[in-house]
Amino acid sequence: MKCSPMKFIVSMCAMALACSAQNAIQHGEQVFAKTCATGYCHGVKGQSSGAPRLAGRGFTQAFINFTVTRGVAGTGMPSFATVLSKADLAAVVAYVAALNGIANPDAGAEGAAATSSEPALSSEAVRGAQLFKEAVRGFGRCSTCHEVGGLGIPVAAPIAQVPASVAALKALTTPNVKMGTLDGESMPALVLRDGRQGTLFYDLASLPPVERNAEPGSVKFADGSAWRHSSVIGAYNDAELDAILAYLRAVTN
Amino acid sequence: MRFWLMLLGIPLTICSALAQDAGATHDDWPHYGGTQFSWRYSALDQINTTNVKALTPAWLFQTGDYAENLQATPIVQNGVMYLITARAHVFALDAATGREMWNYKYPDLPRNIPGFVGNRGLALGDGRVFFGTKDNYLVALDQKTGRLAWRVNLDDARQCGCNITAAPLVVKDKVIVGGTGGDGAHRGYITALNTRSGRLAWRWYVIPGPGEKGHETWKGDSWRFGGGAPWLTGSYDPTLNLLYWGTGNAAADFYDEERVPTGADKSKDINLYTASVVALDPDTGKLRWHHQEIHDDQWDWDSAYEVLLMDREIRGRMRQVLVHLNKSGITSVLDRTTGELLGVFSVPEVQNWISGVTEDGKLVGRVEPQLGKTTTVCPTAAGAKSWNSMAYSPRTGYLYVPVNELCEDVTPNSEPAQEGQNYMNGSFPLKLAPGRTTYSHVDAWDPVTRKRAWSMPYKYVLLASMLATAGDLVFTGNPEGEFFALDAKSGNKLWSYQTGAGHRGASVSYAVNGRQYVATTTGWHVSVVGGAVQNLFPDQDWRLGSTLVVFALPESLR
Repeated sequence: MKCSPMKFIVSMCAMALACSAQNAIQHGEQVFAKTCATGYCHGVKGQSSGAPRLAGRGFTQAFINFTVTRGVAGTGMPSFATVLSKADLAAVVAYVAALNGIANPDAGAEGAAATSSEPALSSEAVRGAQLFKEAVRGFGRCSTCHEVGGLGIPVAAPIAQVPASVAALKALTTPNVKMGTLDGESMPALVLRDGRQGTLFYDLASLPPVERNAEPGSVKFADGSAWRHSSVIGAYNDAELDAILAYLRAVTN
Repeated sequence: MRFWLMLLGIPLTICSALAQDAGATHDDWPHYGGTQFSWRYSALDQINTTNVKALTPAWLFQTGDYAENLQATPIVQNGVMYLITARAHVFALDAATGREMWNYKYPDLPRNIPGFVGNRGLALGDGRVFFGTKDNYLVALDQKTGRLAWRVNLDDARQCGCNITAAPLVVKDKVIVGGTGGDGAHRGYITALNTRSGRLAWRWYVIPGPGEKGHETWKGDSWRFGGGAPWLTGSYDPTLNLLYWGTGNAAADFYDEERVPTGADKSKDINLYTASVVALDPDTGKLRWHHQEIHDDQWDWDSAYEVLLMDREIRGRMRQVLVHLNKSGITSVLDRTTGELLGVFSVPEVQNWISGVTEDGKLVGRVEPQLGKTTTVCPTAAGAKSWNSMAYSPRTGYLYVPVNELCEDVTPNSEPAQEGQNYMNGSFPLKLAPGRTTYSHVDAWDPVTRKRAWSMPYKYVLLASMLATAGDLVFTGNPEGEFFALDAKSGNKLWSYQTGAGHRGASVSYAVNGRQYVATTTGWHVSVVGGAVQNLFPDQDWRLGSTLVVFALPESLR
């Protein structure tokens, strides 16, 4: 059999693709074991431990991809679109495709890159990302009021400008916080809606903030407040705040 | 001599009369567990053993939320029923007719919120209706109008992997709630908010932090993600002013190497305060006492279940006791003033993870799952009893417990913790217990003698809560859709009705204008335990649904 250079290149490419697909499937198996086979869900190798069996069901790869990405409404099957990295997602889809007898599932460029790491943050920014949402700080963590990178409660508007320094962060003013008075009690308030339907606002008197819904006209607001952002970041020391700022700079730029 | 004995007898009689009624509901069904003593017992006896055969549907309510099923215990106050569905649609209904008075539908959630869809109940207090959500909000509605009053986020579900599925408990001016997530890398807690303002009153972490007592029972940093989530509803004794709650298992569930300090004595407390019953001061959230039921739980035996408070004479002395069963079926009887253990018994017939339990609660012959090996364990992580509640009748003195006889093949692994992600560290496919033809039973247990008075076997599994009444009836439903009444004294089946969908929720009894009603939720649940057990009976088609069915005697009979 003659082997033209062109054919040789094509077959090498095919081998390379097969190899990367194989890597992706292996990686997908690991992701599956940690994420999908667990608890009362799909079981080891998709053989079911409560949720539907996934092996040998004749699923197409498009169907698997759709289901994993979108979830199934009204069941325990969530969307994994933001839970898994794109690489992990592609790999796990390829693995479930393989469980359904699809010989060479297309893991795509993302799948092929499954073993490569996420875009690099500096080590300080990585530490900042951890601190931002660190569970051990309870309601004293930043994510109690800020949503960044798909985590946290969006009480405050998205962070548009990151303070230049810890000193600037501590000096941050919050003119949008007003003083609200309801039933004779005053509280710092972040107003979401104030109209004929009623008044919806965050009561910032303590953490976590309380989203309150009051009868129309029942809350009186006065501009400005004694509330300071610096009063709610006391769970962190200056070095930690520096790391958090590094993280915010990295993700907002 | 006789005179003095009579004098002594008087207060005892009064005490036991009080004890007979302390946990009973009357016209209302005010709390998740009936009263805050959690007996699920109604003092109503219009429907009783002599006339239950005539029980017939009075009205139905279709919730329209058919996403999952109806698990919530309905709450009834002054002729109004409050009901919450799987996706937190809340309804106020005329409890005599089912007419809707108002509804509130919590917004649909984005699909990236992890966890299964389900809600086990709401609570009333201070003119408000309180409930938790899948995205971890505690929500307060105006009780008269259903209008939103406030809501507070207690954790980001996307980070903690936790949800609120349990009914809250209102104690004085606080609304108190636990959360799920203890099978993931998460540190469980109970949170109390002010009923009026929604502001945080306290949070009690199941796992003590550095410097706190009990922290030394954790290895290294394992306490950060050690589980223990108290995912059901507690009880409250107003006289003692003590709040009681069951806590979940430690994580990782089936593999203890990362969390147990080297050389720890497994006959003593390990990984506090997981797998325990705790007594807290409801005003401050401070721990008053604890009793750990399973030291180093390696079977996912979760002690998160309901806590029943009752007064019983034990060894000649009237005691204020607490009865608590965990997923293994080990049931503890404690003095609820101190936590002193007064007795232990185990309810499943098939049990191989221990050879027995001693009078003082020591587990004998523990068979611990081994890394990389497969061990058959009976009962299972699905529970000798599931999360649904037992009931207690002060007339018979029996606990009514639905017990399942299943086994599982546990294979532990050592995957590292990843916050909010599953951290069971084991697979545990369920199987039927060998050599049997029936796989569940309703039992009547006396918590004082620790003897089983009767047992009514059932072919499949039983996963709905029990209801006991002063008509000496015990009600529950099965997955085939049958809702039935047993004689509380004998276990004989006296009545049944095919409701059309499987039972995975709860039933309650109440009265409006002198007419007694029995209401049950219907609808099978295919997530988690419901799905896992259904796989064991592949020829069965247990139907989903979300309908409340309410029964009463015909007007002519009452």
